[in-house]
Amino acid sequence: MKKFWVTAVAALLGMAFAAGQITIWTHFGGPELEFLKSQAQRYEKATGVGVQVVEVPFNDIKQKFILGAPQGEAADLVVTVPHDWLGEMAAAGVLEPVGKYATKDYLSGLMPVAVSAFSYGGKLFGLPMNAESVALIYNKDLVKTPPATWDEFLALAKKYTTGDTFGFLYDLGNPYFNYGWFKAYGAYVFGKNPDGSLNPADLGLGGEPGYKAGQFIKDLRYKYKLIPEGVDYGVADGAFKDGVLAMILNGPWALGDYKKAGLNFGIAPLPAPPGGGAWGPFVGVQGVVVNAYSKNKIAAVNFAKILVNPANQVAFNKAGGRIPVSLGALEQLKADPVVKGFSTTIAMGDPMPNIPAMGKVWGPWGNALSLITQKPDSDVKKIIDDMVAEIAGAIKGK
Amino acid sequence: MSRRAWGAAFGLLLAYLAAQWVFFAARGLRPGSFLVFGLERGDWGLVLGFLLSAGLLGVLLRGRLDGTDAWRLVFWTAAVLEMGAYTWGLGAELAGRVEPRPAFGAVFVPGGWRYVLAGYAAAVLALFVYSWAVIKVGNRLSGRRRPVGPLFGQALTHLFLWTLVVLVYYPVLQVVSASFDPRNNLFSFRRVHSAWLLVRAKVLPSFANVSWDNYAKLVNGVVIYPWQWALLALALALLLAALGLAAAARRRGGEALGVWRGRALFGFAAALFVLVVFLGPAQFTGIGTESKFLLWVRNTLLVSGSSGLLAIALTATAGYAFARFDFPGRYPTLLTFIFVQMFPGFLALVAIYYLLSWLDLLNTFTGLLLAYSGGIISFGSWVYKGYVESLGRSLEEAAYIDGATRWQAFTRIVLPLSAPMFVFIFLLQFVGTYSEFIMANLVLTGVDKWTVGLGLYSFTTGQFSTKWGLFAAASVLGSLPILLIFYGFQQYFVSGYTAGALKE
Amino acid sequence: MYRHPAGLRGFLTAIALLGGALVSSFLLGAAAFVALERVAVAVGRSGGLPGWWILITTTLFLLPLLFFLARTFPFLSDWYYLLPAIVFLLVFTVYPIILTVYLAFTDYSGARNGLPDRATETAVTAISGRRITLAADPRQSLGCNKTCLGEKVELVADGKRARFTVTAQQGRTLELDRAPGFEPRYAYRVNVFHYIGLRNFAYIFKNAARALWPVFVWNVVFASFTVAATALLGLFLGVLLNNKDLKLRNLYRTLLIISWALPGVITIQMWVALLNKQFGAINRLLGLLGVYPIPWLLDPLWAKVSVLLVNLWLGFPYMMTATLGALSTIPDELYEAAKVDGATSLDAFQFITLPLLRAAFVPILLASFAFNFNNFNVIYLLTGGGPATEGRLSTAQATDILISWAYKTAFRAEGQSAYGLGAAISLVIFVLTVGISLVNFRVSGALREEGRR
Repeated sequence: MKKFWVTAVAALLGMAFAAGQITIWTHFGGPELEFLKSQAQRYEKATGVGVQVVEVPFNDIKQKFILGAPQGEAADLVVTVPHDWLGEMAAAGVLEPVGKYATKDYLSGLMPVAVSAFSYGGKLFGLPMNAESVALIYNKDLVKTPPATWDEFLALAKKYTTGDTFGFLYDLGNPYFNYGWFKAYGAYVFGKNPDGSLNPADLGLGGEPGYKAGQFIKDLRYKYKLIPEGVDYGVADGAFKDGVLAMILNGPWALGDYKKAGLNFGIAPLPAPPGGGAWGPFVGVQGVVVNAYSKNKIAAVNFAKILVNPANQVAFNKAGGRIPVSLGALEQLKADPVVKGFSTTIAMGDPMPNIPAMGKVWGPWGNALSLITQKPDSDVKKIIDDMVAEIAGAIKGK
Repeated sequence: MSRRAWGAAFGLLLAYLAAQWVFFAARGLRPGSFLVFGLERGDWGLVLGFLLSAGLLGVLLRGRLDGTDAWRLVFWTAAVLEMGAYTWGLGAELAGRVEPRPAFGAVFVPGGWRYVLAGYAAAVLALFVYSWAVIKVGNRLSGRRRPVGPLFGQALTHLFLWTLVVLVYYPVLQVVSASFDPRNNLFSFRRVHSAWLLVRAKVLPSFANVSWDNYAKLVNGVVIYPWQWALLALALALLLAALGLAAAARRRGGEALGVWRGRALFGFAAALFVLVVFLGPAQFTGIGTESKFLLWVRNTLLVSGSSGLLAIALTATAGYAFARFDFPGRYPTLLTFIFVQMFPGFLALVAIYYLLSWLDLLNTFTGLLLAYSGGIISFGSWVYKGYVESLGRSLEEAAYIDGATRWQAFTRIVLPLSAPMFVFIFLLQFVGTYSEFIMANLVLTGVDKWTVGLGLYSFTTGQFSTKWGLFAAASVLGSLPILLIFYGFQQYFVSGYTAGALKE
Repeated sequence: MYRHPAGLRGFLTAIALLGGALVSSFLLGAAAFVALERVAVAVGRSGGLPGWWILITTTLFLLPLLFFLARTFPFLSDWYYLLPAIVFLLVFTVYPIILTVYLAFTDYSGARNGLPDRATETAVTAISGRRITLAADPRQSLGCNKTCLGEKVELVADGKRARFTVTAQQGRTLELDRAPGFEPRYAYRVNVFHYIGLRNFAYIFKNAARALWPVFVWNVVFASFTVAATALLGLFLGVLLNNKDLKLRNLYRTLLIISWALPGVITIQMWVALLNKQFGAINRLLGLLGVYPIPWLLDPLWAKVSVLLVNLWLGFPYMMTATLGALSTIPDELYEAAKVDGATSLDAFQFITLPLLRAAFVPILLASFAFNFNNFNVIYLLTGGGPATEGRLSTAQATDILISWAYKTAFRAEGQSAYGLGAAISLVIFVLTVGISLVNFRVSGALREEGRR
């Protein structure tokens, strides 16, 4: 009996010391969290490494990770981080470059846009897991076929913009949702260096393309009278859920609620705005990142690799409906209309810039959009010029 | 006041206003735009002009007029006119920013305010008739001659107060109704069919499809052991007993009842303490984040409760020393206490983070508790100092004559008398930290460690989803403890705030 | 009993003794902590001891030291009453303040936090003494500005990391200030932060027209209007409810306290929904009255009005309660005496109630002003500082007050985690708050102590 206890204690100690323990921060909820927890349990059984899953709200992850990682207070893995945080987090020193753990085969099995999104300074900083972009989501009870041209779109949207129902709503003051229009008119955030990396000195939001996009966004409210004041994300989302909104610009994260509300919806790209080129949204790629200060990197990376393998990406899509970035997983999900719809818009879009300078863009950009749409007589040119000046000043360092 | 003085004052006033008008008109500004808000336009010259002309007025008047009456008159007239002009201008500016277009899906009744005004007039009339009749009949019966005024005044006061109560409770009503709405969105876009105009206009919530879904989600998967139920029942019984004894004591008086009431309350607190301490994360097996809600309440009670106790421990001796001792450096130290507190504490977040990290207290309740403790020390000591000063020294001096030391005088005489103030300091810290979320967010990581404030904040700041229904349900449940405390200890709040300030 | 050394000398003696005791016991405690940690590691606790043990060891040294000090200097025992409060203030308030003040003179920020930049990971191919050779040209791969001379680099091997300064560079070979002593696998450039003197303050004042001045003016207007409005309404209600003949007065008091009792996190966010221009309940209600929808939170000027109204809703019960508390301390005999003298109730109000209320109210008003001056929650939760206003920094919008501006600068995306700048702003806030309070205290005499020297 005594012997049994000795061995048991030794085994426990051995497990604790040899295999160790990894902590995961995640912003997943509901079935996606269940998926992650079941994977963690499976990994624990297979390897003996304890996996602890901690729920941290999405908005807090970046700051907490940057502050906590060097102090040994952050998780070994974060599931998942959007790629536009990479630059800032890498510069702050908390992300482990994972290129050395990734094989050529693995990389070639991913959407190219996902790999480029997760590369910063020529290095891979995480294992991409899913991609997302906004798209036109329409209520099939009201809209039979999605509009292909702006005129069709406008006619349809106007038809449903009555006092009680709405034709087309989205969060008009949010740059993330509006990038598509900017791109359509030829604007871009950062230009590219010859080697393909982003050049923070080349700002493309201003000038004639910027004015046109700004004017168009203002027109959505004051000329076409589609999106009244006071419409924010919550209002648009609520109206769609209540079935009184024909078309909304939103992303795959919202679909769970729409399904729950029993809506019959379809997904399509937006048409090109008047006088502009093709619409194309920001593409966000989310992936698993590793803490540079982790005491158990190998175990963490191994678990991350399991999480992002094609089979699990398919399983994850079944759990929460996110769009996988593995080509193999996409192939298996070909028949899914949601995956198909969003793959189209993702293919049309640009990845959000992931250099730290992007952090200096969001604030002034958002402000400029709210100023433009604040009153009918706002001076679009001046607002856009001021915005570009503020961003350029901030990037140059005051 | 002489006629000449009147004339001079009036003339100067006119000149002053005219000068201002010219000054602003010359810059093409509407009257409203030169208020403080006008500073947005970068018009610092306007402020300067205002100050200059006011100063000039003073200098001119000082030579011409004597008698403070004239001074006052000029000052008040100018002030009232200025304020009037500003208010009018501001009102015009604000009105100009309202688009004359009814809101989407709203019921718009042109001139609806007239009906409301008429309704109020009718109510006032009815109240007058009622008071008149009551007083007249009463006078006839009793043969006295009481005037109608006081009763009518009371009736009007009630009308006013009920209007105010309705206005104050309107947001609360909205929270409560949202908590019964399972659809998780705040703005309902569906048409509501109802005979009531207010419900049809969605001004009052329609309770047509009430659902407990949101509440069910908050307690989903919570496992409570039988002994905890028993303890909870015991705690509630003790609380009821205490309330009953209090009611009985009020009616009949008697010392013994009071003692038993104290014991029952103490038992209630002890049972609650055991419940709070032994409720663990393992008992929360639900899937969603929101199913941990009761755990958050428990965490908060733990943190805020101990924080309140710590606040008493830290401020009692300090406040006593400030009030009673007279050592060199007492007053400078007191001032230092007060001024140190003026540093915007939570901007030192990063520093506190590193401090707690070195002490290995991050993500612990102890760490959060210590981080909260700094905030109350100065105010607590100050208030307690005022309270001790109001107690008077005679009891302590008697004790000194009996050979007591200072420490004994403090612990045996002052401390027992300080119970109300300690309750106040405890409540202050408890209420102040109950819904705090910024510091808590920094120190605590992971939903198992969250406090109520953090949880509530997270419902409305998800990346893309705002869970309004859950937020509302959690708000209703989460504010219950604090409401109970407020209503249970009302008199301590009333006396506490003044005791610290009033010396005599 | 005992005598204090008089005047300044006594003060300084006491401070020196206490400070000496604290510092020496902290040093002893730290030494003991290090020793204990060694022991713990030797015994097999891999993580060593938790850091808070240092508090325990320090206390263990401090208590006997204090005991002996009190024997030698009996007058010191007066100070012992203050000691718990002073120690907590020093550790959890003063120390963070000092660190913040230090940060205010640096360019510390999220991306300049003194940690290695992982994007500069470069493999180390060879090492000999102080020289290391990298796999790529360090000027590019380490991202040095022209030359790597003087840059700090971090070298990492399995389980080991250390920092070095580059003293010379030749092609792909770097010479370090000392030999690493282990076989490094990767090198990273460290994102150092610098002491930048007054540049943060220069930035604040250079952009004062776009942030500091308008924010400060609005902050003062916000705090003073809130105090005035809540005090007036609270005073009115307090006097109304103090009338002993009024029926249900306790019910009213209990009912009206609600907006103070409910946590702000809940009620303020509810107001956001109620004040939505097109869909909020307030505008629907106004629609029934024939008022067009008001852009409560969308127009910069209206947003200010909304903030003030919501803050009035939040704040008046406190003033009402305070008024009732103050009124309850006025003895009834005063009124009866006045009645005997033939005073009307208006006279009694003007000559008894108001003067006595004034004495109790001045400190309450000052405390309320100080609280509202930094009332972060109502601004941050109601408008987030917005709506956007032309010609302002994106961190300082229409309804931003100083503290929300500082918070957004240091902790939110708009400000890019510019902790250094945020710290500088909080220093400015501190100076302004102290200045305003000094004026307030001087004018009101709130800090004057009667009956003392």
